[in-house]
Amino acid sequence: MGYEWDFGVVLRDFDLLLWGLVNTLKVTGLSLLFGVPLGLFLALWRLYGGRLIRVPVGVLIEFLRTTPPIAQLFWFFFAMPILLGIEIDPFQASVLTFSLQSSAFFAEVFRGGIVSIDNGQWEAAKAIGMDRNASLRRIILPQAVKRMVPAFLERAIELMKTTTLVGTISYADLLYEANNIAQSTYRSLEVFSLAAGMYFVVIFACSMGVRRLERHLGRTGETTTG
Amino acid sequence: MEHAWDFSAVFTNSYLLLIGLKNTIILAVVCLVLGLFFGLFVGAARYSTRIVFNWPATAFVEVFRNTPVLVQIMWFFFAFPIISPFDIDAFTAATLGLTLNTIAFSSEIYRAGIQSIHRGQWEAAKALGMNYTNQMRRIILPQAIRRMIPAFMNRAVELVKMTSLASVIAYGELMYQAKTISTIEFNPIEMYTSVALIFFVLIFPLTLFVQRLEIKSKGRG
Repeated sequence: MGYEWDFGVVLRDFDLLLWGLVNTLKVTGLSLLFGVPLGLFLALWRLYGGRLIRVPVGVLIEFLRTTPPIAQLFWFFFAMPILLGIEIDPFQASVLTFSLQSSAFFAEVFRGGIVSIDNGQWEAAKAIGMDRNASLRRIILPQAVKRMVPAFLERAIELMKTTTLVGTISYADLLYEANNIAQSTYRSLEVFSLAAGMYFVVIFACSMGVRRLERHLGRTGETTTG
Repeated sequence: MEHAWDFSAVFTNSYLLLIGLKNTIILAVVCLVLGLFFGLFVGAARYSTRIVFNWPATAFVEVFRNTPVLVQIMWFFFAFPIISPFDIDAFTAATLGLTLNTIAFSSEIYRAGIQSIHRGQWEAAKALGMNYTNQMRRIILPQAIRRMIPAFMNRAVELVKMTSLASVIAYGELMYQAKTISTIEFNPIEMYTSVALIFFVLIFPLTLFVQRLEIKSKGRG
């Protein structure tokens, strides 16, 4: 009955797991890099675009938010290349999917933050002669962004958790490497436990950071969650 | 270059998709019911000031909130059977992973909801001679649960989306069926587009409902 734990064979491949973790962070980082600015634009289009822009952007955001990420990933990896007649590798498909997927959530964080700013701020900005772009850039966004920081970081952590899907299209992230090692060493209990532990260390550290920051920012205004 | 869309294979295989949809719904409902039920106890333990309850509950919640749910599902499918006394099929593994995950997240909703109720309510209930269970069941929870409903609905939405991960361990839900059909019929474009639409139709009404509830509860103050 007693199971003999043996981390020896698994630790021999530890560098593979570490490379997997690097790849996980790479996909997460790049998706954030594209997803956050795109999210800002989506939010602005949804709030201030004409009807012809507002409605389709709203539909796009809702669609990206309500379909499972794995369905999106498969669509971009298996369907889109045929449709457009292009070639796309797992890494590109992953970054594309998670940039778009996260941008929809970031858009809602941006929107919540912008809407939460009191109307008087807009009026004050107008009164000193600013047009809408200038008031948005100089008055509204700087205040809104401060309120959004915790919600942003929470979304970023969610994003990192979601990127575990990339293994399903054979991109060598941490979970994919763990699965490979489990198959070659027959030590799936040790490998998957170790991989889960690695995810936990990274994600828990981020969560603690977010919580500290939240406390630090204090009650300067209610935060918006996506 | 130009792709001729052809949905006929989607329709001829629609009974397979329906089986997948049924399995998706079964998995989601089972995990939601179990998750919300046990989440209450973990939430109460998290709210408790006694270390024997608080610490294990906190450890459980942190572990399941801070690891990816796909890792949890794969752990229960590939790793857990080695030490488990009973057999684990794909459905059991997916149910274990998703339920424990839902327990962890919903316990935080319960805890926040219970915390949001004014201390005076506890004291008043105590003054009437109620014990802890009765205070909780008759006074605190009925008030708290109303405030928690939008958050629970959000969890339900997330849960339906997460069931698609069970396809990775070959549980025959919607995503898995779509994958299988698309490799047989060579129609990934139509298949994955259809599946995305089905999920959208399944989940979007839920999110609309949540938004409406949230607006309503804000109006109430």
